[in-house]
Amino acid sequence: MPLDQRLLLLTGLVILASIVGIWMISRSGLARRVNNGEQVDLSSLRTIKNGKPVTKFGEKLTLLQFSSEFCSSCQQTSVLLESIEKAHTGVLHIDVDITDKLDLAKTFNILTTPTILILNSKGGVVSRIVGAPKLATMELEIERLVNK
Amino acid sequence: MTLSKIDPRGPRFGAVITSVLMLVVLYLALEETTYQVAVWLMAVNTVFFAIGATLGNAKHPYGLIFKGLIRPLLSAPQALEDSRPPKFAQLIGFILSSLGLVFGLLGLDYQLGLIITVIAIFFAAFLNAVFNYCVGCQIWLALARSNLIKI
Repeated sequence: MPLDQRLLLLTGLVILASIVGIWMISRSGLARRVNNGEQVDLSSLRTIKNGKPVTKFGEKLTLLQFSSEFCSSCQQTSVLLESIEKAHTGVLHIDVDITDKLDLAKTFNILTTPTILILNSKGGVVSRIVGAPKLATMELEIERLVNK
Repeated sequence: MTLSKIDPRGPRFGAVITSVLMLVVLYLALEETTYQVAVWLMAVNTVFFAIGATLGNAKHPYGLIFKGLIRPLLSAPQALEDSRPPKFAQLIGFILSSLGLVFGLLGLDYQLGLIITVIAIFFAAFLNAVFNYCVGCQIWLALARSNLIKI
């Protein structure tokens, strides 16, 4: 292949990869409202928080995070959601590692981690976030849901 | 698996070199006279991924360059990260790179196979380097759910 064609091809590839990257970033971590009556059964999560099994939802909201072992943005998200839990009364953060619980991935239709489901006080799913969210996105979503 | 922490900028620095290297390999693989050089570079790349996938990113040649030359120039990292996600990414890279190497060794008839794997590695490395794309977050669950990997 001639030199100029090869260089054109490489340039095109870099531009294409950049477009894909920007597209992925713009979609990742956005909150989507859910209203399909999906209900979470806490015992199915088999999750421990601060040394105790989780048996109650947050008084106002529960931030149910699904993580996996090979996911670095899951850890960053966990830190973010812990800080949100501390800043808001009635908000509970649960981090479920689905590495050994693939049945949960099927139950909640999780394709990538982190995925966060925001639950109301009765455990009904009200919002779904795929990918690591920004602090501002979480704050807006919590404000909207708490004041509803 | 032992839990160890690494500077998250190390693997991203490695991804920058890998994406540039993949562009070079692609450039050389598109020309008959330089095809063998591309295959050789692919062999080196495969060995590097193998080191990263088995010994971890800190022992990877790019990791050593980062530690020796780059990190002293930077301030301390804001936070350390778990070493397992980038190690898993190295394993995915190793599998793709081995496949590309096999295509390369089979000769020019399999040029398209080599080119496709090189482009795939370029995309993953470039997105990791520039956009902090996390291969493990996206690929692991898909592989696990399709029963391709057992845990």
